[in-house]
Amino acid sequence: MSSCPTVGDSFSAAEEVAVVESVKAASDVYAPISGSITDVNKNLINKPELINSDPFGAGWIFKIQPDDESELEGLLSYEEYEALMPDEE
Amino acid sequence: VSRPAATALFFTSPVRYADGVRLQEALVAARQAGAIPDVVLFLEHAPVVTLGRRGRQNFLLAPPDQLARQGIDFHLASRGGDVTYHAPGQLVLYPILQLGGAEADSRGYLHNLEEIALRTAADFGVAAHRRPGKNGAWTEDGKIAAIGFHLKRWVTMHGLSFNVSLDLRGFDLIVGCGLVGERVSSLQRLLGDRCPRGARRARPHGRPRRGRARPAAGPRRRKSSNDWKNRRRNFQRLEICAPGLNVILSECLPEPHERRATWHAL
Repeated sequence: MSSCPTVGDSFSAAEEVAVVESVKAASDVYAPISGSITDVNKNLINKPELINSDPFGAGWIFKIQPDDESELEGLLSYEEYEALMPDEE
Repeated sequence: VSRPAATALFFTSPVRYADGVRLQEALVAARQAGAIPDVVLFLEHAPVVTLGRRGRQNFLLAPPDQLARQGIDFHLASRGGDVTYHAPGQLVLYPILQLGGAEADSRGYLHNLEEIALRTAADFGVAAHRRPGKNGAWTEDGKIAAIGFHLKRWVTMHGLSFNVSLDLRGFDLIVGCGLVGERVSSLQRLLGDRCPRGARRARPHGRPRRGRARPAAGPRRRKSSNDWKNRRRNFQRLEICAPGLNVILSECLPEPHERRATWHAL
């Protein structure tokens, strides 16, 4: 994790929140919904591999307080996202 | 005139690093919006040291003000990777590609950038290889190509630098890619008189592929330089073939001499 937000920062949906670096690639992370940051996972700064090893647990990136909970309906569930992924070769 | 699926721009004089970043950022935004096709920039930078996301000041062996006295720019870069050095005689490849879709794959893209460097070296009879955990292209004499890129909504920026004939003493100012004790090499060092004159003579091999890594194919024959010359078109035709691109170039590089380039459709 090479760049992360500060608690209290506000973001609009789809705005850049953080940057994750893997080997030679830096990738932006976007806010899934509008809201304000309530917590940031500082463990990722030294242990970014948690994002891969435990994405649904210790690999969380930030917590955000939604401005508008109805925006949540626009997000994908795990199953819906999985269905978009190509089959592993 | 048909619109190209992708456009390659070859800059014919060195580009200042800050200008290159400004241009790439504008191209990325336009690519994200679907206003332009994929674009690949080929250029040489004026001398510059850049620190990537993981770059640490202690990989700089000379402070920025000392670099400035030597006519070397210094910049923080949004790409992945550590510290590196660019200068005329090094070919820089900046693909602005939309990797989005079902095949989007950051690691596969990294692999493909490496593949371009390996095949380009092979085109000149230089054996280069990958090293686990040390991305880039390596020869028996040291690292010949470095990689660092940035993904913004699956559109790529930054990319690959390939050492052709630059003065390698520039790398003495840094600990290249944060790799202590590793050597840096170039086609010039490896080939001597057989080195192509000027970085632009050593164009990287083909177009970076999107998507998943593919197994390496055998060496392909390089197109003759005549073929490249024949494909050159008057730069003004770019206005017709890729109108958005022309506007972005003019906005980002206001001085005509800065955007001196040739282009062709890929």
